[in-house]
Amino acid sequence: MSADSKKGGILGLGYQSEQRLFDYSKVASAVIFFVFGVFPIYWMAQSSLKIRSAVTSPEVSWYPTPATFTLENYDVLTNPDVVLYVVNTIVVTIGTILAVVVISLIAGYGLARLRFPHKENFARFLLFGYLFSPIVLGLPLYLIWKQLGLLNTRIGLIVALSAISMPFAVWLMWKYVQTIPESMEESAWVAGASRWRGFRDVIVPQSQPAIIAAALFGFAIAWNDFTFAQILLPRNEATTFAPGIFRLITQGYDIAWGDIMAVSLMMTLPPLVFAYFMQSYLLKGFQIRSL
Amino acid sequence: MVDVQIRDLTRVFNEGRDEIVAVDGIDLTIEDGEFVTLVGPSGCGKTTTLRCVAGLDTPTGGTIHFGDRNVTNLPVQERDVALLFQDIALYPHMSVRDNMAYGLKIEGVSREERYARVEDAAELLQITDQLDKGPGDLSGGQRQRVALGRSLVRDPTVFLFDEPMSDLDAKLKRELRPVVEQVTAEIGCPVLYVTHDQEEAMTMSDRIAIMNQGELEQVGPPKEVYEDPATEFVSGFIGQPNAQFFDGRIATANGVVTLEIGDFDFDLSVDPGALDGFGGEAIRVGIRPQNIHVSENPDDGIPATHLLDEPLGDETHSFFETEMGEVIVVTDSDFEGDGGDYGLVLDSDYAKLFDVESGVRIA
Repeated sequence: MSADSKKGGILGLGYQSEQRLFDYSKVASAVIFFVFGVFPIYWMAQSSLKIRSAVTSPEVSWYPTPATFTLENYDVLTNPDVVLYVVNTIVVTIGTILAVVVISLIAGYGLARLRFPHKENFARFLLFGYLFSPIVLGLPLYLIWKQLGLLNTRIGLIVALSAISMPFAVWLMWKYVQTIPESMEESAWVAGASRWRGFRDVIVPQSQPAIIAAALFGFAIAWNDFTFAQILLPRNEATTFAPGIFRLITQGYDIAWGDIMAVSLMMTLPPLVFAYFMQSYLLKGFQIRSL
Repeated sequence: MVDVQIRDLTRVFNEGRDEIVAVDGIDLTIEDGEFVTLVGPSGCGKTTTLRCVAGLDTPTGGTIHFGDRNVTNLPVQERDVALLFQDIALYPHMSVRDNMAYGLKIEGVSREERYARVEDAAELLQITDQLDKGPGDLSGGQRQRVALGRSLVRDPTVFLFDEPMSDLDAKLKRELRPVVEQVTAEIGCPVLYVTHDQEEAMTMSDRIAIMNQGELEQVGPPKEVYEDPATEFVSGFIGQPNAQFFDGRIATANGVVTLEIGDFDFDLSVDPGALDGFGGEAIRVGIRPQNIHVSENPDDGIPATHLLDEPLGDETHSFFETEMGEVIVVTDSDFEGDGGDYGLVLDSDYAKLFDVESGVRIA
């Protein structure tokens, strides 16, 4: 009786066939990821290093040759408009991360530790925020922001982005704080620490993985945001990178693909680096049962 | 000089529409420097009592005084108590040294002074080598020592323990008990130690308070609660193996009081006056397994069939099946029952008689 004839496994095939199938699927999924995930980034990178005629030529070229290679596309990074977009994006992202981490940690602590009526309902209600697409929320926000004078301000965008990041971040913090034994805080109180001091000395340092996870989440929301920035920062001089680059494409007579690719590549690197160095914390933060 | 006075302490929890009385009007005084253990089965209200004394819970009724200071409604931060938690609760993000110094840091003691006091405490607890490690690198016993040290450096007014050893193995418990006694003696304050382990209670305490269903059954020195239990519950809870209970009947004839258990009569050497009104009445008889003798002749006492032996080396615990259920007897180390038939003879001098209804001791 050969090993292969033993039926078993999930698909009812022999163990060896299933192992082979599993290996093929692994390779296939890696290929799919490369074609749709990594290849466009490569395309962006190689296009940014080619002269204009090589990018727009109907002939497909897979890499820059000595004849088509150039670095001049990167000159666009010194373009004042582009610099402004990048600075705006960085400011808005940092602001959003700070707001998300601070508010969600305090809110999550409250949900985990304090007793108040309808606490569970409140937490469930938070997730309602995700039932609406950003465009649905963005248009009324535009009217409200206009009244409040928050249009075309970074603060206005930070508030909007923090608001849509908050439900998930609060939920994450809530569940994470629940994993910290209450006796640790009580032990601090017994020693004379106030509630706030106990929160600062015991809860905050131990919530580090959740703080990093929430920060990454806020980063992803803010850095990649298009909709809110497009709606709430209508003026070209005030907007962030995503709508900025979109406006670069649509305005003007012909499209400067090389420039766009160069800027895009520069904006793609920070999230990659950020995520790469934080991934172990990120996984820890998301490793909570019942999240 | 500070003592702890608990007066008529009550704590009622509202679970939906149900009211759960966790602590039902208990009175207890802990003298300065006295080690009192609150012992009882899980859910008896002992931890709730402790949390009320600590200030982590607020009583529904009654008062708590530390000396002449009424602390009943004082927040936990202002009571100057130390509390050793069941899960020890060391901070994983701080070194052992900083864990021990944390209380002093909150008090605003200078860094130098803090660390000096930690060094002293660590020496007493023999954990000097561990000070720079994290709590995660320590063994269970070492963690207990660190937690003790954390309280020791603070020199609290009252020292509370909430089942700190329940997760340790028996050997480690025996090692740590003298350390706990040493540390509490060093501080010299009132100690309230909560446990469900009667052995811990017996070995460490000046007095034991036995709690059941929110009420105190008896408070007294270990020897007293062992030899002179006030209720059936105390008799059954204190002592290893547990006391054995029988349903019996009191008969008085010609001035001699006899105790009938099943078909067997045992003479009682008690003052007949104590049993006035119980003649012919049903009664609960409690006796320690050490005071039951096994006779080779089944006619000598309560007929029993041998089930199994648990040899412990210096003595053996033997299990018997009788008409009244299973009975445990402490026998000699060389006893081997081999499943035979025996008679169980109760040493009636040690028999304790309890009221069937209330469980209160009669004689």
